[in-house]
Amino acid sequence: MKVLVPVKRVVDYNVKIRVKADGSGVELANVKMSMNPFDEIAVEEAIRLKEAGVATEIVAVSIGEQKCQETIRTALAMGADRGILVKTDDAVEPLAVAKILKGIVDEEKPELVILGKQAIDDDANQTGQMLAALLGWSQGTFASEVKIDGGKATVTREVDGGLQTIEITMPAIVTTDLRLNEPRYASLPNIMKAKKKPLDEKAPSDYGVDTAPRLKVLKTAEPEGRKAGVKVGSVAELVDKLKNEAGVL
Amino acid sequence: MDFRFSDEQRMLVETVRGFIASELAPLEDEIEQTGALRPELARAVFEKSKALGLYGMNIPEEHGGGGLSALDTMLCEEQFGHTTDILIRRAFGNVYEVLLACQGPQVDRWLKPAVSGERVCSIAFTEPGAGSDAAGIRTRARRENGKWILSGMKHFISDGAFSDFFVVTAITDPDKGHRGISMFLVDKGTKGFTVGRDQPMMGIRGTSHLELHFDDVELTDEHLLGVEGQGLKLALSVLGRVRLAQVAARSVGKATKILNMTVDYANDRHQFGQSLGDFQMVQQMLADSAIEINAARTALWECADQIDSGLDPRAKISMLKVQASETLGRVVDRSMQIFGGMGFSKDLPIERYYRDARIYRIFDGASEIHRGVVAKAMLKGGKSVYDPWAA
Repeated sequence: MKVLVPVKRVVDYNVKIRVKADGSGVELANVKMSMNPFDEIAVEEAIRLKEAGVATEIVAVSIGEQKCQETIRTALAMGADRGILVKTDDAVEPLAVAKILKGIVDEEKPELVILGKQAIDDDANQTGQMLAALLGWSQGTFASEVKIDGGKATVTREVDGGLQTIEITMPAIVTTDLRLNEPRYASLPNIMKAKKKPLDEKAPSDYGVDTAPRLKVLKTAEPEGRKAGVKVGSVAELVDKLKNEAGVL
Repeated sequence: MDFRFSDEQRMLVETVRGFIASELAPLEDEIEQTGALRPELARAVFEKSKALGLYGMNIPEEHGGGGLSALDTMLCEEQFGHTTDILIRRAFGNVYEVLLACQGPQVDRWLKPAVSGERVCSIAFTEPGAGSDAAGIRTRARRENGKWILSGMKHFISDGAFSDFFVVTAITDPDKGHRGISMFLVDKGTKGFTVGRDQPMMGIRGTSHLELHFDDVELTDEHLLGVEGQGLKLALSVLGRVRLAQVAARSVGKATKILNMTVDYANDRHQFGQSLGDFQMVQQMLADSAIEINAARTALWECADQIDSGLDPRAKISMLKVQASETLGRVVDRSMQIFGGMGFSKDLPIERYYRDARIYRIFDGASEIHRGVVAKAMLKGGKSVYDPWAA
């Protein structure tokens, strides 16, 4: 079984995001970039499937500027077999990403596409679902456990209020949640091997996809700062405030 | 000249940095409080690091090491500086390149087990009467019936409690001065070899510093490392890279880690209605630390690059030893000042970093010794130390 793992290059999760002075977006100059943590979990899951003998080949894909090849190399150093960089200098929205991924799926014919439930930059949480719709495949989103047996996958999903386990038919899309696994570090020997793994370069036009934006950013603003708290004199006062001021009781 | 990192370098640093932050840093407080790393934890970090290929990365691949260049070694060593000495030793191994002088049966007996982490090695040069003056040792190895008989004592032998064998310097020909010194590989447990007390230190808690006593220890030619009488020459030829790695690069790493914490603190801590970072005198301290760290790191890369080009930049290594260790001293002192009372308190690690930093200006040749090396090189026609275009 071939597995496709889309990986996105995003601002590192440790970076304290700053909004650009003109409100046009988030400051990206001189900011550390890394693989989207949810995609890292997806790469790890794919490698575990390969180690378990379920998957045979892992293809990592990234869409974006030339630097995205760093993200692919990281996936290759973790254990993916080869990479595809779809190069574009434009900002690509989830629908265009899903269309490009559909084009790659049509070419590569994987049985499983596993990717992060969302990217930590825009938090759109759309690509996996859109891809499933475009392909007409079943989907298991927010996965905290994935078991693949024959033509079926059992996916435990993290839903509001608990866990939901569903059985879906392969081929399928799985999007990963935080508790699915803990991604490994790239080992020194694997880092050196990654250099020799094939990395193809493509363009959105190779898949006939127009990446022109459909959304317009009107303004980007920082969230309002937290207001100062108040000290209460007694439990009774606290309960009163929760009831009558905060309205949470 | 290319200061851009390759994908391999970037990923290697990310792995090492991530491993230190998540696997090693959480163990530091306990080591500081108890003065020791529990053996089961030592084993665990060794095994995890080993599985990632991070043990003995500085040693060539044909001997089972990671085969890193000097520059790549420095990139990793800078990250090692983010944690404590004992954790670096257990997780990444201080595998001394002097062991590459092993020949014949010595390779399987000492070199390979040291690189694999199966056996741990310490360097035993220092004596009460011979610190920076490595030729001033009194430990003797006399020739008797085709054997070597070792007698004398060493002290401050770092990691001596954990180590399985030692590289020991001894006088083999008292009439030849520094040309009469040889190196021996001495296993713990050899008859007549006893370890003395662990000498308590101001900082780097968790690492033992032992006295070693040699009372007519019988050795064979197999224990002689390198050529008889060329012990100091061999040491000088390989210890430069060790010095650059374990002192200069780690100093840069420590200073960087401390400055990272200080910048965050300067942003978060408010006094007189503004953050500490809004005070110009604090800004000056932050900027000075950044300027010094940046200068030391860039010089470190250049020096490592010279080693990789096959040069022997001894005077530059001495410059870096001074520059990086003294940068660390100034950075941690400023940070203590910015953290104020909290920095002095044992509730934060700043006071520990302050104590740990002090030895970097002393061990592996005090600053004064290395300044002497630099000045002598300059005066003897080596203006290239500071002027690459000098005639």
